[in-house]
Amino acid sequence: METCLPSLDAAFHALADPTRRAVINRLMTSPAPVKELAEPFRMGLPAFLKHLRVLEDSGLIATEKTGRIRTCRVRIERLTEARSWLSEQHALWQARTDRLADYVETRMSGDENGG
Amino acid sequence: MAAESSELTISRIINAPPATVWKAWSRPEHLAKWWIPAPVECKVIKLDLRPGGGFETLMREGGGEFQPHVEACFLDVVPERRMVWTTTLAEGWQPIEPWMALTAIITFEAEGQGTRYAARVLHKTPADSRKHEELGFHEGWGTVIDQLAAHVQRLK
Repeated sequence: METCLPSLDAAFHALADPTRRAVINRLMTSPAPVKELAEPFRMGLPAFLKHLRVLEDSGLIATEKTGRIRTCRVRIERLTEARSWLSEQHALWQARTDRLADYVETRMSGDENGG
Repeated sequence: MAAESSELTISRIINAPPATVWKAWSRPEHLAKWWIPAPVECKVIKLDLRPGGGFETLMREGGGEFQPHVEACFLDVVPERRMVWTTTLAEGWQPIEPWMALTAIITFEAEGQGTRYAARVLHKTPADSRKHEELGFHEGWGTVIDQLAAHVQRLK
C-alpha cells in the first residue's frame, strides 16, 4: 500500500493541469508518438516534454522508444485507481495516519517530556 | 462527477501520549518526516497553529522543483486536543479555489497509555461539486473519467 501511494498522490497532481489532462484524453483513444501529441499545444517541445515527464513519473502514462520514435500510452490501471476520489482520499489519509503512528512510535519514543 | 458521500474518518490508537503525537503534528521538523511518503520530499512552509494561521506544505520528487501540496488555514486549535483546518481558505482567512476543497478535523484523545488519533475529513457536498462542474471547473477531469468508463466497458 505504501509503495503505490506516492504514485497516486502524483497522479492527482498530474491531473490537476489542463495540458496533461488533454494528453490523457488524447491517449484514451490510442497510443501516440510524442511529436503528434505535442502538435495541438502552443508551447515549445521542451515544455511539453516536461508535462510528459510528470505524467510518466505519476504512472498515468508509459512511454516506449522504437528506433527514433517515442510512443506514449495511457496506463488504464493507474487511472482506474484514481477514479474514485473518495477512496483515494481515504487511502491517502489512512496512509498519513499510519506514517504518523510509525514516526511517533519509532522515532519519538522517550521524547515525551519536551525536546 | 457527483459524489455519493463526501466524508471520511480515520481512527487509530498510537502508542504515545497525546502530547507526543501533537508534537509530531505541530513542529515543522517532525511534520516534514511523515506528512508525505518517501521518497517524495516535504517542505513545511507555514504551520501557524492559531485560528487564521496558515498551513502550507510543498512536495518535491526526484530532486526537481518543489510543487504545491497543501495550502490551508487553521480554523480551530486546542493544543494536544484538536486542530481544524480547511483548504478553502489560506492564511488570514483569505478565500482560495483549491484543487480539492476539504476541511480536516484532527483529534487527539488520551486512551490508556496511548492516544486515540482521529482524522475526520469533510469534502464538498455533491451539490457543490455539480455547481463546480457547471462552471467548467472539473470539465477536463470529468471528461477523463467518462472516457475511462467507456474504455473499461470496451475491455469487458
